[in-house]
Amino acid sequence: MAVTTMTGARPQAEATLTTPRLPLLRQIALLAGRNLMTIFRTPEAILPPVAISVFFLVIYQSTLGGAASFLPGLAGKSYLGFILPLSIISSSLAGAGIAAQNLVRDLSSGYFDKLLLTPVSRAALVLGPILAGAVILGLQASIVITVGLLLGLQPATGLPGLLAVIGLAVLLGTGFAGFTVSAALGSGSAAATQGAGFIFFPLTFLTASFVPLALLSGWLRTAAELNPITYVLEAMRSLMLTGWDGAVLLKGVAATLILATAMYALAGFALRTRTRRK
Amino acid sequence: MSNREIVVQNLVKRYGDFTAVDGVSFHVEAGQIFGFLGPNGAGKSTTVKIMTTLALPSAGEVRVGGYDVVSQAGQVRQIAGVALQEIGLDPLMKATELLIMQGQLFGMSRQQAAARARQLLEIVRLTDAVEKRVGKYSGGMRRRLDLALALVHEPEILFLDEPTTGLDPASRRDIWQEVRRLNREMGMTIFLTTQYLEEADELADQIAIIDRGRIAAAGSPAELKARLSSDAINITFASEAAVEQARAALADMADQVQTDRRVLRLYLNRAAEAVPAVVRRLEQTGLEPQSLTLTQPTLDDVFLAVTGQRFLSEEKAA
Repeated sequence: MAVTTMTGARPQAEATLTTPRLPLLRQIALLAGRNLMTIFRTPEAILPPVAISVFFLVIYQSTLGGAASFLPGLAGKSYLGFILPLSIISSSLAGAGIAAQNLVRDLSSGYFDKLLLTPVSRAALVLGPILAGAVILGLQASIVITVGLLLGLQPATGLPGLLAVIGLAVLLGTGFAGFTVSAALGSGSAAATQGAGFIFFPLTFLTASFVPLALLSGWLRTAAELNPITYVLEAMRSLMLTGWDGAVLLKGVAATLILATAMYALAGFALRTRTRRK
Repeated sequence: MSNREIVVQNLVKRYGDFTAVDGVSFHVEAGQIFGFLGPNGAGKSTTVKIMTTLALPSAGEVRVGGYDVVSQAGQVRQIAGVALQEIGLDPLMKATELLIMQGQLFGMSRQQAAARARQLLEIVRLTDAVEKRVGKYSGGMRRRLDLALALVHEPEILFLDEPTTGLDPASRRDIWQEVRRLNREMGMTIFLTTQYLEEADELADQIAIIDRGRIAAAGSPAELKARLSSDAINITFASEAAVEQARAALADMADQVQTDRRVLRLYLNRAAEAVPAVVRRLEQTGLEPQSLTLTQPTLDDVFLAVTGQRFLSEEKAA
């Protein structure tokens, strides 16, 4: 009897202390919705990366499209399908900064502190903007692909393959968001966050950017082989040009996940440092 | 339900070698308006940040509503409403959006939060501005919205860190009125920091004066004023030389004498009764005052007496 009373009393006491709290997923969705709303209020922050990607896509296709058939390994294949993944990846890496930009705005306006004073989970404060960023990444990839289709793209794997490409793009961008978010939380500064984003620039081009990996040699080949983005690029290209290739896709997904794990560990550390009471 | 009290005991906050708060203790009773008064950099905001779970104390104990701010921060956040000195609002959002989200984060349904938002916008009189983004608000509007945000979850204890700093007199009176109403009608305990003596005098039941991290004086406004035993007789002369002469002639009649350019101030008890004697003495010495007034001590005098520095007056600050 005595035991029943004791165990019975405890949950009651706790219920009065922790009044209704939104489940974590609802918190994340709520914050992501709010971030999407503000992102759409400042389209000037998200449109340029897409515009640049589309611009380069058109340029590559018009200048190199005709010559590509002379490249060994690409004979008889579409150069557009070969180069489109590069455009998608560059827009993904640019879009990886969206979550961080939103965080920096909250840090500098002081709204972040205001949120810390609510019962919101610390993780949701970061995962909300990251989820919003993922939605935008999907939109950006879709826009680039649509332009590709308008230019005459005929993907080997059809619509499901295009969806898989979008999925990879979102995964990659969201993984890298862990890095820019760490910079945002660590510095609280828009300039530093933007600076951190530039690391993606060499990463995009130290890959088998313009010719197949097999044609690269020397240091560039080594760099490309070590660069995880190469494997994402190869996975996307296989979907566009050759068809479903499980091994290549797995490598692409694995490369992204390994990267994302490292970057999210960093982001978790930055979040703890930022929100730890001093 | 919390006990709606605040108890602070021997609170110390160090930043490296600098001690921002140096052994502060006070007790705010349920339903009180407590004024925490001090100049810039005295340690007011640091104390508020600790009480509201944004910073940790270096030593001492702080209980808000009966909950320990270190080990029960979650409970403190549920019952405390906070409007910080630096207003934190997302400039891209609108008032209703901010209020609804705040309500939802505190566990309300969207409908409940929307109803609460409408109610609060009316209270802080922002119903005309709901379509504007917060980035386009004036300082007064931002303060009022910030106050509304602090009230969303119907807190039992409200923390206001310099709620009227930088506001015009009309907006300031609005905030005062609202603070009084919240206290009277909802029984909310209110902890208010301010640099303005007038504000503390106007609103607070109890006041603590903080100076360089320590409590310099505490009590009700009336008690604090009474602690300065004396009224003052202020006599203005035509020249500073005359003031010096008068000072020499009258010094033995007052507890304390001060000169301020052409004004001589005599501090003494029951000044009104002493006026005839003072006037007679002046006539005997042949000094002719231009004017003579009586004043009772203000909180400013209290502040001067306990800290040795004159307070920033509201007019000068505004």
